[in-house]
Amino acid sequence: MTSLSLNSFVTFGYLGVFVVALLAQAVGGGNLWLRRVVWAALILVWGVHTASIGLRWVESYQMGIGHAPLSNLYESLVFFAWAIGLALIIAHYRFRAGVILLLGLPMTVLVMAYTSLLDPEIKPLIPALQSNWLVAHVITCFLGYAGFAVSFVAAILLLLANSSSSAAKHLPATRVLDEIIYKSVLVALPMLTLGIVTGAAWADYAWGSYWSWDPKETWSLITWLVYSAFLHARLARGWSGSRAAMLSVIGFGAVMFTYFGVNYLPGLHSYF
Amino acid sequence: MAEPETNRAASSETGGVFGETIGFFTSVKTTIAVLFLLAAASVIGTLIPQEAGLAELKATSSPFLYRLIILLDLHQLYRSWWFLLLLVLLSINLLACLLKKARNIPADWKGKDSQVSFRMNMEDGRPPSEVKKLLAEQLNPFLGGKPKESSSREAISLTWVKHRVHLLGFPLIHTAIIVILLGGLTGIVYGYRGYLSIKEGEEADRFVIKSGGTGTLPFTVAVDEFTLTRYPTGEPKEYRSNVRLLEDGREVHKGPIVVNSPMTYRSISLYQSDYRAVGVKWVKLALSGPDGVVEEFLIRPFQTVPLPGTSEQIRLHSLDPGSSTRGQGVEMTATGPDGESRRVEVFKNDPNPTDVGGRKLGFLGYQTLYATGLQVGYDPGTPLVWWGSGLLVAGFLLTLFTNHRRLAVEIKKEKGRTTVQISGRSRRLRQEFRQAVQEKVRLALGESGKGPRTGQGL
Ligand code: HEM
Repeated sequence: MTSLSLNSFVTFGYLGVFVVALLAQAVGGGNLWLRRVVWAALILVWGVHTASIGLRWVESYQMGIGHAPLSNLYESLVFFAWAIGLALIIAHYRFRAGVILLLGLPMTVLVMAYTSLLDPEIKPLIPALQSNWLVAHVITCFLGYAGFAVSFVAAILLLLANSSSSAAKHLPATRVLDEIIYKSVLVALPMLTLGIVTGAAWADYAWGSYWSWDPKETWSLITWLVYSAFLHARLARGWSGSRAAMLSVIGFGAVMFTYFGVNYLPGLHSYF
Repeated sequence: MAEPETNRAASSETGGVFGETIGFFTSVKTTIAVLFLLAAASVIGTLIPQEAGLAELKATSSPFLYRLIILLDLHQLYRSWWFLLLLVLLSINLLACLLKKARNIPADWKGKDSQVSFRMNMEDGRPPSEVKKLLAEQLNPFLGGKPKESSSREAISLTWVKHRVHLLGFPLIHTAIIVILLGGLTGIVYGYRGYLSIKEGEEADRFVIKSGGTGTLPFTVAVDEFTLTRYPTGEPKEYRSNVRLLEDGREVHKGPIVVNSPMTYRSISLYQSDYRAVGVKWVKLALSGPDGVVEEFLIRPFQTVPLPGTSEQIRLHSLDPGSSTRGQGVEMTATGPDGESRRVEVFKNDPNPTDVGGRKLGFLGYQTLYATGLQVGYDPGTPLVWWGSGLLVAGFLLTLFTNHRRLAVEIKKEKGRTTVQISGRSRRLRQEFRQAVQEKVRLALGESGKGPRTGQGL
């Protein structure tokens, strides 16, 4: 069993959980049995996902080039999907809102499917990436991104509920969605802050400058600024509902651009 | 962290222009606007090439865009006057906010603040002292300790305060941003970055400053050796420069500079950046005499040296790294005792070894001579940035993982009955706190005590 074959299981696993979650939603919220199946399957698939990341780590050591599996686009995307899975599990557990899985799981499936188009070979670390700061940086950034992803999902649902009353009937109360939008950002923003700080420490360590306005750095700062604005709008100006949801959507747009868009601009982070 | 509360006094009591100015600087509206402007500016900065040559920009942009770029310094946006102005505005905003909010912290700390998130009023038939005992039995374990108590003839007041450190989250976070911005400013004003390239065996102290011009280090960097190691797959594993630092010719520091492991001396850091192959360090030849004994012979470029065991002088001119089927090889001049010079070629794959002065020469190998590229960095603001980052992370953790709660209970004797007034405040999880308190009070006094008469949440 290799981490690669586990990963294809994981991709289809999330897809399967999504289908069952859709079924559970269609049958109606009252079906406890189906919801339990969704919950158990999600935990199982996510557990396998965790194992696959661990296995890849072991495999790299067996090849004599051991390093944390967070060193290229393939590995970081697998970790991103894992972090979204974790955030979905926590949000589902905390708020009992199954619908966020309906929008959140397709995201993990998409990210995992995308990894299958990439070169999955385990390669040795080039000198600039050999640092523990890198590991801390990637982990905290992606945990943050995953929190923003959950906030985004809830924001889309809230906007949907507010724009159509027939959709609202199938969705959790907007008060709950609003709570998810805000609480996820509340956890994710400190994570992103840690991510930016460890990234700056890494850059200082490796390139001799903690900040050099490299596009990826700049976009993570943009993301941070947008969510800081979100927090102040919410805390001190009392923004909630659709307006706060819009800010969350804009913030997630910045997250996505930090991750995918920036690769079309030149810069230091071109390894990822 | 707090959801919005309504009953803090309005932001500025002082009217007029002065008050409005103060209001502008303390307003969170300003903060939100500035944060968005900074975000928008940063977006532009990633779309227009930064620190690029103006000629290049002129060639690739429309005339209008080019004039706009020049007018607003868009090609060096992050150090343009208006970007720095935005940062100054943010700093003033932060400072004003801090000063405004800091006034309330001592009172909050002592549990004397007037803000409440919910109130409950009720009546009970039992005497005040017994009501107090019953409530304390339930609330002490829930709030993790005994309350502060003050009693007068007509009333008993109890105040519980929990997780006071939460109050430090706000000043920590907002001070941290100021400290980080100060660190950045210090770096811009007093720091520099540059680059120097030194060949193995040579030394230098002048470097090219990134923003233009050259500078001189307060010490000399001597590079003894540069090594490049590779993984079995051929990809580079490590670049290492072994250097010595000299002051007035005296060695003051020595060690390797490796990617991810810079050398720092007198607050100036030297980082391994890149390398170039600039020539040949030595070539190793095999010398075999008529007796068949083979010895190795190292020859360095452009030095005339006697060839051991012969009366010839030999000088290395050039190296061919293997451009033909003859393989790697060298071209040299041999000078005999008569002063006659001739060209000598020694190639790895030549079938017949070259004969010089009675000895046969074979090519064994060579070592590249490298120039190592070092980055120079001096930024006296960096410690401030790290201190600020530490405070910021600490502040975030405090606001996230602690929750300041205050519960005040006032028990009075009124017209033969005991009235109980409860007010509570929680920064986070307000709903949950209120429900938990209601539950504890119900457990303490029971439903019989005429229950909560009013329980409005604010
Ligand atoms: C980039 C700069 C800033 C960052 C990262 C930041 C971050 C934060 C964070 C994380 C909180 C939540 C803390 C808590 O609930 O205790 C917060 C709250 C707050 N911030 Fe900022 N802030 C920034 C700038 C400002 C500025 C310039 C002001 C001045 C108007 C300001 C005013 C406030 C206020 C009034 C609150 C609400 C506190 C509460 O309701 O408990 N912030 N800020």
